[in-house]
Amino acid sequence: MSSPFVFTSENQERFQQILARYPNKRAAMLPTLHLAHEQQGHITPAVEEVVAELLEVPLVDVHEVLTFYTLYFRQPMGRHHLRLCMSISCWLRGSDRIQVHLKNKLGVKSGAITQDGSFSWEAVPDCLGACDMAPMMQVDEDYHGPLTPERVDQILEATAQGQEITTAPPPDNTKTEALPIQLISEHFGNSQARELEWYRKQGGYEGAQKALEMQPKEIVDRVTHANLRGLGGAGFPTGRKWSFVPQDTGKTIYLTANADESEPGTFKDRYLMEWDPHLLLEGIIICAYAVGIHTAYIYIRGEYLRAAQILQKAIEEAYREGVLGERVLGKDFQLDVHLHRGAGAYICGEETGLLESLEGKKGWPRLKPPFPAVVGLFGCPTVINNVETLSQLPKILLKGAEWFAGIACSHHGGTRLFALSGCVKRPGVYELPLGTSLRELIYEHGGGVLGDKQLKAVIPGGASAAILTEKDLDVSLDFDSLMKAGSMLGSGAVIVMDEDVCMVRACQNIMRFFAHESCGQCTPCREGTGWVYQILTRIAEGAGTPEDIDNLAELADNMSGTSICALSDGAAMSFRSYVKKFRSEFEYHILHKRCDVEEKKTTVNA
Amino acid sequence: MPSLEINGQSIEVETGSNVLQAAEQLDIHVPRYCYHPGLSVAGSCRMCLVEIEKMPKLAISCHIQAQDGMKVSTESEKVKQARKSMLEFLLVNHPLDCPVCDQSGECDLQNYYMEVGQYDSRFLENKIKRRKAVPIGPHVILDQERCILCTRCTRFCNEISQSNELGVFNRGNRSVIDLAPAKTLDNPYSGNVIDICPVGALTEREFRFQCRVWYLSTQESICNGCSRGCNISIHYNTSLSYKAGGKRVQRLKPRLNPHVNRWWMCDEGRFGYEFIDHNRIESPQLRAVQGKLQTSDWEQVLQEVSTGLKTTLENFGPEGIGVIASPQLSNEELYLIRKIFAESMGVQEIGTRNPWEKEGFEDDFLIRGDKNPNSRGAEELGLNSDVKAILEKAASGKIKILYIFQHNFESPEAQEMLGQAGYVIFQGTNWNKTVEVSNAVLPGATYAEKDGTFTNFEGRLQRFQQALLPLSESKSDIEILSTLARKLGYPVTYLDAEEIFREWWGRTYQELEEFGELLNGQKR
Repeated sequence: MSSPFVFTSENQERFQQILARYPNKRAAMLPTLHLAHEQQGHITPAVEEVVAELLEVPLVDVHEVLTFYTLYFRQPMGRHHLRLCMSISCWLRGSDRIQVHLKNKLGVKSGAITQDGSFSWEAVPDCLGACDMAPMMQVDEDYHGPLTPERVDQILEATAQGQEITTAPPPDNTKTEALPIQLISEHFGNSQARELEWYRKQGGYEGAQKALEMQPKEIVDRVTHANLRGLGGAGFPTGRKWSFVPQDTGKTIYLTANADESEPGTFKDRYLMEWDPHLLLEGIIICAYAVGIHTAYIYIRGEYLRAAQILQKAIEEAYREGVLGERVLGKDFQLDVHLHRGAGAYICGEETGLLESLEGKKGWPRLKPPFPAVVGLFGCPTVINNVETLSQLPKILLKGAEWFAGIACSHHGGTRLFALSGCVKRPGVYELPLGTSLRELIYEHGGGVLGDKQLKAVIPGGASAAILTEKDLDVSLDFDSLMKAGSMLGSGAVIVMDEDVCMVRACQNIMRFFAHESCGQCTPCREGTGWVYQILTRIAEGAGTPEDIDNLAELADNMSGTSICALSDGAAMSFRSYVKKFRSEFEYHILHKRCDVEEKKTTVNA
Repeated sequence: MPSLEINGQSIEVETGSNVLQAAEQLDIHVPRYCYHPGLSVAGSCRMCLVEIEKMPKLAISCHIQAQDGMKVSTESEKVKQARKSMLEFLLVNHPLDCPVCDQSGECDLQNYYMEVGQYDSRFLENKIKRRKAVPIGPHVILDQERCILCTRCTRFCNEISQSNELGVFNRGNRSVIDLAPAKTLDNPYSGNVIDICPVGALTEREFRFQCRVWYLSTQESICNGCSRGCNISIHYNTSLSYKAGGKRVQRLKPRLNPHVNRWWMCDEGRFGYEFIDHNRIESPQLRAVQGKLQTSDWEQVLQEVSTGLKTTLENFGPEGIGVIASPQLSNEELYLIRKIFAESMGVQEIGTRNPWEKEGFEDDFLIRGDKNPNSRGAEELGLNSDVKAILEKAASGKIKILYIFQHNFESPEAQEMLGQAGYVIFQGTNWNKTVEVSNAVLPGATYAEKDGTFTNFEGRLQRFQQALLPLSESKSDIEILSTLARKLGYPVTYLDAEEIFREWWGRTYQELEEFGELLNGQKR
């Protein structure tokens, strides 16, 4: 029996504020659990009962949510909690080594608390969205990296003593001369941009001002003509997405900004939110006005605590200064914007998984049709746009559709942020016109492969995208060209692998992620991702069989086009490409029960 | 009304029907796990994928609406491959413990796998271990390893029983169905999750390891547990009943009746079959003067009873006879009682309503407070009067001979009156308080052992059919009454319940509609 739980009077007040953000109590599930978690450090059965009662939902619903998301602890953790990112980009930069060091240093295994209770740690298979500082870890609220064993020791010591951890400023690679144009990344690295006054002095909110003087229909047309496509991953034309929203249902129309950035290798939205929160808010105003929306939610992944704090501050400032609220920018247009934190689940980046989560449920994607534009949040028509997509809107409004469409090197409009990571000299976020070549991104902007090694493979659009090889380097980074190359632009996360990377291990790392993040709702994904991960682990550990390779190819077929959402398709696209393009490496593993890449490395070093 | 083509056959369906339902109208069965017509659509098992012309991907037939001009294939190579692969995926973490699984023989994993299986497993990994054989309520055992996460049970608990005990916890292949913290699956309808579980994840505690399902026979019946009249199937075994300590009825299952119980039944009804094989009166009994009941034979008992009735009639007229019929009896039996006692003998005092019987638990779903299956039938036949007055007359000596059917008069007041009654005849199935004070006991048959109809509380006439022979020396009430009538000199020649039904209702059982018929005020 756990001891009884009551919210402190301060938190009771905060709970009331949380409730006020939603049209029903249930939607307050995640924030209420976050609040209890903050008060007590973990969620006990007593908390579950209190939350069920407060939100008037069955206990079973609270328990489902609690066990679905990874950020809620169900037993006490250390005074400081460390999350070491084990996802692909960090792994490429040596997170395995850091994991061993952390385990030895703390003397407890992942998931456990040190004897003095000061630390607990876990090695997480999901990407924490900071691949530019790989290998990295999260210490309580803050991200730290790149890590070395020595750096880990310093961080632990400083944390234990309650000292400020001095972190080197993030590598400012975004201001290189080579970048021809910056529409949305110009404020990166400049913390002044977080202030409303400064932002306005630079011409901020002028795009929104302009929008508010136009007819909504004109805005939709302009965005359509600008050729802006969804930059979260799917690449759907934004203007068309808006035009699907029925205006005559008499129901509230909602906007949700998808800030659940979790595709391994992707960290661009975090940059946008941390450096330029008002740009996102301005984009939200434009979209809201264009579609007739008066309530917007920003669904931000739970791990992005700093970004959430910065955004929250910006929202509050915007309300204070009349940028949001009853009269947006002094015009006869009302708009409320609420920040909603996720709680650790990749699937909530899938738009209907996000809606479920926002409604206070586990993030099980919905069956489609109906599509969210018609039946979305709380059963109402809903626009879901990615943070970067929304952030592109102000400039489109200010400078026009033709100008924006003309920027790209391909027939899709504008620029996009490429998050470059892995075995590359200058990892970071680079804003480039759509259609820039992969080679230019890696060699001109990223400085080439780390240690001047041979490039072996590149993931061009996040872990779900099929892997490309050296010979694909001249592909232009736009939606259609990459699709033609058998992959996808996805989230714009470009992950570079050098000649020393074992492709079996790389593939295993990615499938561990998908197996961990599969929501478990539908059969092919739930069972397929886990099974494929097991097969890859077995091959990597020298117990593969010759049949495994063909079996993997067939499993990829069976996992494609058969599931509720695209997670399974993405996973299949990914591992199928590794097996196909690096078949000989898989065969070597199976036949010789060891890794030829590792062997070569050892031979060279010896 | 959209018209579409499925496997080359055309069909017109109601607007809003899904493709799976459309296929069903053509008698084409699309394999499914998560779909259940009584629950919301989950669309998660992906077994019912079908190929639709001009659609790039396979579509789940439980979700996609039938549209005009659609061309659907439920058996194309692509569909079969998808089905086969879903089965393979479902078995990845399934324990394959069919030899010790109660679901064996009625398991949809087995059934579909027989049609399109991988047969040679290529799964070389370790299966995930989960909790097995967990009692999660008074009637249900959970096996998480066998579960395929179709969520029929959780949807049942959310949508139908609305008791919210079960949920899906964790995610990915670590997902499990389990009870919410500190909950027990003890809602009044918990047994239904056993029926709808397509695999062996939820099995019945009572039935566990009692009998392999292929040794069971099935008969269509009506639950006699209350006045709802849920349609059920009696699952029984007579060849191996010695293994179950003589228990013939192994379990009851609900049977679809869209007007009465849909796919469901309550636990009270489902597990209320024990009386059929337990505590039965197995042979006729006669009480020696001032003595105990002694086993007798039919000839002797019927002789004594008929003589008693005849003598009373001669000496005291029909006023000397009282009859307490029972709302547990069928319409046919009540009709015969009315015919013999009221119409032939002229007995005025015939009642059925027991004033001491308290209204039982009732809800706004299926369970009715009146625990008799045929109170409405008795009312329609004019036999629904209160029996207290009859007992009072028996106690005061006005009624000399009292014929009681089935009633268990437990209350001290009724017991006292019975004690003062002259001669008491009991005709019924089980030993009870009334038997203890009776002079002659005629062992009748339970509803599982005879044919007949009940009329439920809303006036729906429904047929039940004989599953078993009357136990031991017991006989169907119609047979007992017919023999008695002949001994009394009345020309009663009914061979079976149906003959009475035809006389009463004017039609054969075959002609009665599948889901029963509303009386609509017709009195006969």
